Amino acid sequence: MSNGNGNSSLLAKFGASVIETIYHSGRFARFQWAAITASCSVCLKPAMYPLILNQMLAIGVRSVPVVAITGAFVGMVLAIQAYDQLAGLGIEEHLGVLINLSVVKELGPVLAAVMLAGRVGGALTAELGTMNVTEQILAVQSMGTNPIRYLVAPRWIACLFLTPVLIIYGDFLGMLGGYLISVPYLGINNAAYWNFSASGVEFWDISIGIVKGFFFGVAIAGVSCYKGFHCKQGAQGVGEACTEAFVGSFIIILAIDFVLVVVSKAVYSSLWPLRMLL
Amino acid sequence: MENKTSKPEEIIVLKNINKSFGSNVVLDDISLSFEKGKTTVIIGPSGCGKTVLIKHIIVLLRPDSGRVYFHNIRIDNMQEKQLDAIRTRMGFLFQGGALFDSMNVYENIVFPVRQHVKIKNREKLHDLARTKLAMVGMEGFADAFPAKLSGGQKKRVALARAIALSPEVILYDEPTTGLDPIRSDVINELILKLKRELGVTSIVVTHDMTSAYKIADRIIMLHDGKVAADGNADYIRNHSSPVVQQFINGQADEDDLRALRAPGSDIKISDIEQ
Repeated sequence: MSNGNGNSSLLAKFGASVIETIYHSGRFARFQWAAITASCSVCLKPAMYPLILNQMLAIGVRSVPVVAITGAFVGMVLAIQAYDQLAGLGIEEHLGVLINLSVVKELGPVLAAVMLAGRVGGALTAELGTMNVTEQILAVQSMGTNPIRYLVAPRWIACLFLTPVLIIYGDFLGMLGGYLISVPYLGINNAAYWNFSASGVEFWDISIGIVKGFFFGVAIAGVSCYKGFHCKQGAQGVGEACTEAFVGSFIIILAIDFVLVVVSKAVYSSLWPLRMLL
Repeated sequence: MENKTSKPEEIIVLKNINKSFGSNVVLDDISLSFEKGKTTVIIGPSGCGKTVLIKHIIVLLRPDSGRVYFHNIRIDNMQEKQLDAIRTRMGFLFQGGALFDSMNVYENIVFPVRQHVKIKNREKLHDLARTKLAMVGMEGFADAFPAKLSGGQKKRVALARAIALSPEVILYDEPTTGLDPIRSDVINELILKLKRELGVTSIVVTHDMTSAYKIADRIIMLHDGKVAADGNADYIRNHSSPVVQQFINGQADEDDLRALRAPGSDIKISDIEQ
């Protein structure tokens, strides 16, 4: 009998967690849809532009140093790590291709996005979460203003448009870092370094890295704002929401990256050769 | 016909409101109506659903079942966009004030105006903010940030923000909680003043009986999700129900007292240390 009870309570727990998951997924999807529609309508309202610019300053401009430093170190580390292998094969002059391709396609965008998930995502969740627990979000609503439109849309738009720009900064500093280690420090021939880079890195590679930025930006803003809006009461609730926002956006960034790599490869192999015909 | 005209207008009507959070039933088939221009005080022990009830009036919460009417228009099933227009006709004073801490007092007060009015005359906007601040006795604080204000000052600024759009109804969520008796009385006087000068309908949630007797035209007591008593101050004072008497006189429960008298609370710290 007790065994039966044990089984049924296990089943009840499982059922409850399934219902919970479905409920949260639905709420998340509805929130994202509301954020997308609100962002589109805000784009058409010049009265909201000051709010967007404020968020662009906080989210974009103030993130430049951290993204630039990340990019520079990525380039420098790649140069040091790869040099020995390539030198062993006698092809160290190909170092430029390796560094620049890795930076613009993968490491630049992904690491910049991860840094932003920490810096921007954490701040967004903490700010909105605090507003939530002190009833400021309800206050916005009580005064007849849609809180998603007023609070989420400007942050969403700022993340969408500025993450790719920040990735360009990251890429640039990554290339510079790689160059500074490879040419002045490791003594690789300057012309060979850049010639091999130019032959190996195509416009497609750079653009796919930047396109990823739009997706990463939306992921960071979407997850962080959602977590802030739905955090539990109290300081602990806000803290938990920040952690979940970072972990959540980090995982989503990696997942989106994987999907985009697969898709871009398929697109590249089917369409890119056509440019020869043009 | 004459009877109809002399009947006071009911500005807000709640019909058979039910609300539960999980298995916790907070509002159990509540039906109430509120007269225009009157101050109704809702009292009841903490956690009895007072705040939940007034959040239904402005549809910050939606009922599981039942209907909410404002000026005979059903509002509980409205889309958020339609509701926004209704909400501009109500003001809500939150318990902690809920001032935006990224904005100063002036920006807080003009926030609802900026959101709903196309501002052509900035001077008039300043005048409006100044008038509202003067009404709550907070002139000269326009540039202060909420973090620098005391609890009572925050509530007064929040009240100035709630009346910025000159609402017909003001909902107060525990306006005097956490304030000293003198500050509490300032808030009471403010509530009376707004009723007198602006003719607003007020619904006040509180468990401060001094405040309730002072401001109320009508007092409603909630208990276990139901209306336990409904009448004017004298009616409540002389109510026969022990639940009502216990609450208005602030007496502890017999069970609580028995628990306090029980032995076993004499464990010493030195016992734990060993």
